[in-house]
Amino acid sequence: MNNSSDFPSFTELDRDGAIQEAAANVDGITRAAFMRRTAAFAGGAVAASAFPIAMAQAASGALPSGDLAILNYALTLEYLEAAFYKDALSKGALSGETKHFASVVYAHESAHVEALKKTLGSKAVKTPSFNFKGTTASQSTFQATSKTLEDTGVTAYLGQAGAIKTPAVLAAAGSILPVEARHAAWITNVIAKGSGSPSPAPEAFQKSATMSEVLSAVAETGFITSSLPTAAAGSATSAQPSMTG
Amino acid sequence: MSRTHDEHPTLAELDRDGAIEEAAAGVDRATRAAFLRRTGALVGGGMALGAIPIAFAGAEGGGLPSGDVKILNFALTLEYLEAAFYKEAVSKGALKGGAATFAQTVSEHEAAHVEALKKALGSKAVAEPKFDFKGTTSSEGTFLKTSMTLEDTGVEAYEGQVGNIKTPAVLMAAGSILPVEARHASWVRDIIGAGKSPTPAPAAFNPSMSMSMVLSAVKATGFIKA
Repeated sequence: MNNSSDFPSFTELDRDGAIQEAAANVDGITRAAFMRRTAAFAGGAVAASAFPIAMAQAASGALPSGDLAILNYALTLEYLEAAFYKDALSKGALSGETKHFASVVYAHESAHVEALKKTLGSKAVKTPSFNFKGTTASQSTFQATSKTLEDTGVTAYLGQAGAIKTPAVLAAAGSILPVEARHAAWITNVIAKGSGSPSPAPEAFQKSATMSEVLSAVAETGFITSSLPTAAAGSATSAQPSMTG
Repeated sequence: MSRTHDEHPTLAELDRDGAIEEAAAGVDRATRAAFLRRTGALVGGGMALGAIPIAFAGAEGGGLPSGDVKILNFALTLEYLEAAFYKEAVSKGALKGGAATFAQTVSEHEAAHVEALKKALGSKAVAEPKFDFKGTTSSEGTFLKTSMTLEDTGVEAYEGQVGNIKTPAVLMAAGSILPVEARHASWVRDIIGAGKSPTPAPAAFNPSMSMSMVLSAVKATGFIKA
């Protein structure tokens, strides 16, 4: 029984793999088979590489056009986020937890960009040009803009969950979605200074947004100064990211 | 070490009267097709606030594939656990300031998840287990650490089922809960460590856990009595 004063995480509980072994026994399969079956997504130890592993199984040339369009849409949003945090860090206007947040999240968004680019290969859209219009030059505008970008990222990934056809792509998106949500809650709590207002978790069921809604919202920011990718999804002529207005 | 099968609470064991299996075996093809038509518009049309309860309201446990019923009952079991934990923590009165605000907010969310899942499952919903949180709700420090573990596990549990869900409305429902659990996890981590340790966002790609792994981990806490 766990002592209440140092409640261990479930990962810590299973340092020797006992839980995985037990779970394999429950399922009536061998540990080896269990590990093979769950290698990509089952455990914390392999979690950091879950996306690349999954996506290595899905060469971009073999992906349906709709999935390519969704991945390039995600890549565009990740380019935007990564560039925003890079710009913010270089400006030097951040301090304390906000600066630390920017550093951690920049690393995450960069990892998302790299994983998506690797998956898409020659089908990957190129990074747009950006102008963040001074929002990275002060801590308060950085925080507000970060919150908007992260909240948008969550609604964008969730909005594609039902449209993704390839299981590996769905699993990969599923591993990014909660990370964007963690970012969103984190910066919101920094803004709220622990007061709960604005709330890091404003509702019991997360809202989502369609691709056109998100791209319209992004266009309204004016942060992207070059045209959004249109031909990059290759054969995905009918399902490319497109502007609505 | 190894554990025997008997020591693991599984959803099959929770389904003592066989209601889930019976319902799964009796799934009517036309009923399921009608269900999918009903929910299709909601799924395809973009999700607005409140869409998940609406989507769930159209779902009857008997109209869902057996695998999805099992996943929903798995989720319901975890939500029962979380909801009971926060309800007890709020009632104990040991929390102050940001921790109290967090507990109140999350208590409402987990209760909403329970209600939505119960409604979706109808008569196929598993009954609520009895819990013993072993004093972890009696101090702010232990509450926060336990909350972090429960929320991190919730995220990994939902993420682990994403690829197994067959029904679009169920996928969207699970998808709308997953990031909320992630927000809870990040929030409580920030309360504990002010952004440093534990970090609110520990990895660029969130790990996931299989159903068996989650149930084993939950069993190891001893929080579920029956």
